[in-house]
Amino acid sequence: MGSTAYISLKDVVFSRSGRRIFDGITLDIPRGKITAIMGPSGTGKTTLLRLIGGQLRPDSGSVQVDGHEVPRLKRKALYTLREKMGMLFQSGALFTDLSVFENVAFPLRVHTKLPEDMIHDIVLMKLEAVGLRGARHLMPSELSGGMTRRVALARSIALDPELIMYDEPFAGQDPIAMGVLVKLIRDLNSSMGLTSVLVSHDVPESLSICHYACIIADGKVIGAGTPEELKAHPSDQVQQFLQGQPDGPVPFHYPAKDAGQDYGLGGHT
Amino acid sequence: MLDRIASLGRLGLDIVASLGRSGRFLAGVLSGVPRPVTGFPLLVRQIYAVGVLSLAIVVVSGLFIGMVLGLQGYTILSDYGSESAIGQMIALTLVRELGPVVTALLFAGRAGSALTAEIGLMKATEQLSSMEMMGVDPLRRVVAPRLWAGFIAMPVLAVIFSVVGIWGGMLVGVEWLGVFEGSFWGNMQSSVDFLDDVMNGVIKSVVFGFVCAWIAVFQGYDCVPTSAGISSATTKTVVYSSLAVLGLDFVLTAVMFGDF
Repeated sequence: MGSTAYISLKDVVFSRSGRRIFDGITLDIPRGKITAIMGPSGTGKTTLLRLIGGQLRPDSGSVQVDGHEVPRLKRKALYTLREKMGMLFQSGALFTDLSVFENVAFPLRVHTKLPEDMIHDIVLMKLEAVGLRGARHLMPSELSGGMTRRVALARSIALDPELIMYDEPFAGQDPIAMGVLVKLIRDLNSSMGLTSVLVSHDVPESLSICHYACIIADGKVIGAGTPEELKAHPSDQVQQFLQGQPDGPVPFHYPAKDAGQDYGLGGHT
Repeated sequence: MLDRIASLGRLGLDIVASLGRSGRFLAGVLSGVPRPVTGFPLLVRQIYAVGVLSLAIVVVSGLFIGMVLGLQGYTILSDYGSESAIGQMIALTLVRELGPVVTALLFAGRAGSALTAEIGLMKATEQLSSMEMMGVDPLRRVVAPRLWAGFIAMPVLAVIFSVVGIWGGMLVGVEWLGVFEGSFWGNMQSSVDFLDDVMNGVIKSVVFGFVCAWIAVFQGYDCVPTSAGISSATTKTVVYSSLAVLGLDFVLTAVMFGDF
């Protein structure tokens, strides 16, 4: 998939607060497809999105988006590149002082000089796409969690981006909201020809919509391929994650000293 | 013992690092070219939030402080039979010192803390990150209008404080205690110099406004994005701003009025 890769990470090393989060990660994300990046909590999945978006810089290695070497971009070029990216944050990150309509209109007002009636129409179309045209007058505080994410999704597609990154879109959602989001991600990808990157630890939902998936653990990619290839992956660690087994290569117990010592047994006086 | 020395060193390094971050932050905020069409409405909204909404506390405080000055001044000056000098005493105290300083302290408590909490909460709820990812620099979009608003609103508030304070002093001195109105205003007019007193007071309030707004927006932007982090940043804003205002006031007073 090298020639059609929209995002390409090569030997990326990244540490924060003395902890190595990525230890030479290499990953290609194909153009026009949905790629799921999965892994246990705390493995740096959100950090990966921030590296792609240029909010963080790797210690070493290369992060390319659409042929641009993101860490080397100057501020202006980076901001121009970001206009082609949409990101759905876990919390939605709507501007709380603006209504639903104004939230979706925000990127249009900042980056375009469109007349007001055209902005009005585009915003309504984007809200229609997520099923919330009727909620345009509400304030973010009046929305449920699922609705917040749908508005945030409408906002992130307002400028018709080429890439959209979803940060844990299913976390904490009820089954209906989850179903809505799964449908939206799939429909938006096919109708707009987007490249979608989906970061999640919800295995069934992610595998049901993605074309490719990769699993990250311990700072490395431990498995990658189509959902079918992953399900047949020989690695025990991949299987433990996909099947949600409580014990395996990732142990149930946090590393501790010998139980006998902790309980005061074993000859200590 | 070594641990204590080490922790002292660490504290020093933290302070220097924080100062460095705040300097870079300020450079980032001020380096942007202002865009009048988009920037002006944002600035007006922030001037309303930090300036107009602070008017009530500034006016009420100014009134009471002026009234107290009238009372105290009368009590002290009447011992020497010079209660007619009460007008100049009130005016000089207010325009030189109390106007800028008390307004800055009130400003830090009322508007500074609100700025810190607002920006900190925007950081905690990823609003600043989402803005960055939309290709909008939060330093220019969110922080710059708030910094400039503080800078503009503070001197105006300080002038209003002084004017209301003088009026409060007049209410007590002239209307209540019976000081002759002509000498109240006349003494004030002859002793208060526009450049030496009024303008120096305004310069003080400009400096205080800038420092208070800078501390407030930096603490919000730099805070740890948790509830405890925001709470600590808000506290730091009020404490640091108050100390900075009082310290700078001494320095500025020494420079402006210290003709020794």
